Amino acid sequence: MGSSGTVSGLITARQAGLVACQRCGQVHRQDVQICKRCDGPLRSRDAESLQKVWAWLIAGMIAYVPANLYPMLRTSTLVERSESTIIGGVVELIEYGSFGVAFIVFAASVMIPIGKFVAIMYLAISVQRHSESNRHGRHKAYEVVEFIGRWSMIDVFVVAILSALVQLDTIATINPGIAAVSFALSVIFTMLAAQSFDSRLIWDVDRTTA
Amino acid sequence: MSDLPPTGPAPLDVRPVKQRIWRRLSLVWLVPVIALSVSLWAAWQNYQDRGTLIVISFENASGVAAGETAIKYRDVTVGEVERVEFAEGLTDVLVHARIDKTVAPYLDDDAQFWVVRPDVSVRGITGLDTVLSGVYIEGNWDTDADVAQYEFTGFERPVLTLAGQRGTHVVLRTKDGSSVSAGAPVLHKGIQVGYLETPELSANGSEVIVSAFIERPYDRRITTSTRFWDTSGFSVSFGASGVSLDVNSIASLIEGGIAFDTIVSGGDPIRDGQVFDIFLDEQTARDSLFTDPNAEALKVAVLFEQSVSGLAIGSEVRFQGIRVGEVDELSAIVVGEGPTAEVRLQAVLAIEPARLGMSAGSTLDDAMTLLSDFVGRGLRARMVTGNILSGSLVVELVQIDDALPAIMNLTSGLYPVIPTTESQISDVAATAEGVLARINALPVEELMDGAIDMMDSIERLASDDYTRSAPEALVGLLDDTRTLVVSEDAQAIPSDLRQVINELNAVVASVNEANLVSDFDAAIETASVAAANIEAATQNLPQITAEIEALLAKANSLEFEALVASATQTLNSIDALVGSEDAADLPGTLNAALDQMRGFLAEVREGGAVENVNAALASANEAAQAVEEAVSGLPELSARASRLVAQTEAVIASYGERSRFGAETLATLRDIQAAADAVSALSRAIQRNPNSLLTGR
Repeated sequence: MGSSGTVSGLITARQAGLVACQRCGQVHRQDVQICKRCDGPLRSRDAESLQKVWAWLIAGMIAYVPANLYPMLRTSTLVERSESTIIGGVVELIEYGSFGVAFIVFAASVMIPIGKFVAIMYLAISVQRHSESNRHGRHKAYEVVEFIGRWSMIDVFVVAILSALVQLDTIATINPGIAAVSFALSVIFTMLAAQSFDSRLIWDVDRTTA
Repeated sequence: MSDLPPTGPAPLDVRPVKQRIWRRLSLVWLVPVIALSVSLWAAWQNYQDRGTLIVISFENASGVAAGETAIKYRDVTVGEVERVEFAEGLTDVLVHARIDKTVAPYLDDDAQFWVVRPDVSVRGITGLDTVLSGVYIEGNWDTDADVAQYEFTGFERPVLTLAGQRGTHVVLRTKDGSSVSAGAPVLHKGIQVGYLETPELSANGSEVIVSAFIERPYDRRITTSTRFWDTSGFSVSFGASGVSLDVNSIASLIEGGIAFDTIVSGGDPIRDGQVFDIFLDEQTARDSLFTDPNAEALKVAVLFEQSVSGLAIGSEVRFQGIRVGEVDELSAIVVGEGPTAEVRLQAVLAIEPARLGMSAGSTLDDAMTLLSDFVGRGLRARMVTGNILSGSLVVELVQIDDALPAIMNLTSGLYPVIPTTESQISDVAATAEGVLARINALPVEELMDGAIDMMDSIERLASDDYTRSAPEALVGLLDDTRTLVVSEDAQAIPSDLRQVINELNAVVASVNEANLVSDFDAAIETASVAAANIEAATQNLPQITAEIEALLAKANSLEFEALVASATQTLNSIDALVGSEDAADLPGTLNAALDQMRGFLAEVREGGAVENVNAALASANEAAQAVEEAVSGLPELSARASRLVAQTEAVIASYGERSRFGAETLATLRDIQAAADAVSALSRAIQRNPNSLLTGR
């Protein structure tokens, strides 16, 4: 694909009056509503896609705020009781000299979610504005967002596993904090936002810019 | 797509239909709206639930951490420390804390805060839970919501009197604060009815003032005639009735304690803050009942030339045996000027006029007049031994009849001066030492030497060949006699045999006359008497020790030297007697006599001139018995001598034992004292810094 010159020679299915089933790939005429093969609904473009993206994205961002303000882990041992937020935990790890672990936590809990927010926002805005720059970059960004989304859950899994394992009553107990739930919600919301994004819209932009 | 005919479906108009914005709005928007509203609601709730901010200032906020330290009221967490910072000028530590809104209105001016830390004291361990959970701040306030306050001053130590606790505060004064400590019990008839709060120095630093809280209803037992005394520690007293050890509860032993009692009725009820003095012990407290402790004492000085060691502040001042005051001050002062200046030791006596028998209305001047009148008539001050064992002294005012005229020096110096007379200090240690030295100097060794010499001489005598051969010779004599009797010639005893017999009798009589045996007996008797004397003296010794005063007189009067000298003399004379040539020759003479007799009997046999065999036999028997008796007395003599030696040894041994007993008793007492001191020091250290038990510092 590469340059706009080669693209200009192509037409999309929509331009050809066709619509492909999103699930099974069967191509139908434009006016067919239900897929003949899999009975799935056929839609050439999801008109509400961007709305959904924005809605999920905003929900995800809202959920991300308490995820950072509230404690992620409540650790209570015999001698002390500590609650650590994500950033607090990272700072603590750096103070202890565990730079590697600190980086992993920071990447998984801060960089990836924020990167996702930024990437989805960029995609949504660029599609809305019919921005013509760096179409390839947009595709790549979409793929990365899709791929990396699931890895954001790693924090939540760690908390879940720790909470399940360390339940020694009075000696040591780890419980998930409010932030864990918020963070999980934030990740789910952003994943939904990425899912809601109808990647075909990128083509339309390409087309219109071509 | 290349398969499609060019006349395929016409390109569609793909322009989206313009819809109204609300129609186009997706339901998904509900999600962020709900998320936002939940978040906002939670934030609002959080803000609403925030407690009231209060500030507590502490001098030292050890262990208090922001966000961790809880504020508890009756063991329920009602808040949390939010911030810890210094006040301006680093004077105090300001602890900012949030208190539950429901509780905040009750925080009025009676609210008190203190930091609860682990505290180990003899009354128990408190705050142990804080070892693991960290310290917390305990608050205490009553249940009346008054004008709410937001700034408080925290206490360094737990507040002992909880708000709402009913009772009475009294203020106690003492000169020595070492026996009082915060939380120490106040006892009444052995039951704890209150406790002391933190002792403080009075403004001028001369006294220690401690507030005591007496719980209701026991506080009604306190009137103005109540006396408080120090019950801490234990007291050991030696008296005529023996040793008396008085120990209180372990808590008061280590921590100190105050007891009170109202012995006489008629006192007025007290109010909060009534001031009482703490007396040294119960006896002093009870004694003080009969005098007004606040009455002014008459102060007079006494100048002593010799050492006042043993005299202490508080030592008794006696007048005709009755306590009339105490020593108030001890110091050295210079008397005279220039080359005649010398240092005298000045004891200032505080004499209570009431105890001199003066009426209640009399003034100090009256008492002074009375005292100087007494001095004019021979009243003198002197130090006498108050306690023989401890060597403590008391000042005694005595009437000396033939005293040199003196007057009370009313003008010079700070206090009027009472003239002194020679002190009567009996130094037990010195006199006992003197007795021992005298015993030590007794010629015991000479006595022993004499005894040994005597034994040697007796042994020599006994082992003498002549002495041994005497029985043999006797047997030979008897054999010969028997031969003579059974001989045929015996029938024909010559008439002059009677004369021979008479001569023989005379020999035997002379042997008797020599009084050998009775001499022996007499010597032994004398030695035995000497031994008995020594024994009697020895039996006296425990009695002497028991009554040390009597010991001095008796021990002095015992004629030990004379006794031992006479014993030595006796033994020497025995020695001389036994070792004399006469005694040594005795067996020889005896043998010679027997030989002569034998020869004579042989002659008789030969001559056949036996007239009265029976008489001869009787006489010979008598002689033999006398000799045997003399010989059989020897073991007895040696037994008696050895008993004498054993007795002498026992005397000496008993002295040795006695002195060791004394030393051991003293050493044991000192050990007990040292152990008590060590326990006391340890407990004080722990009490001052209970953390040290945990931190090891």
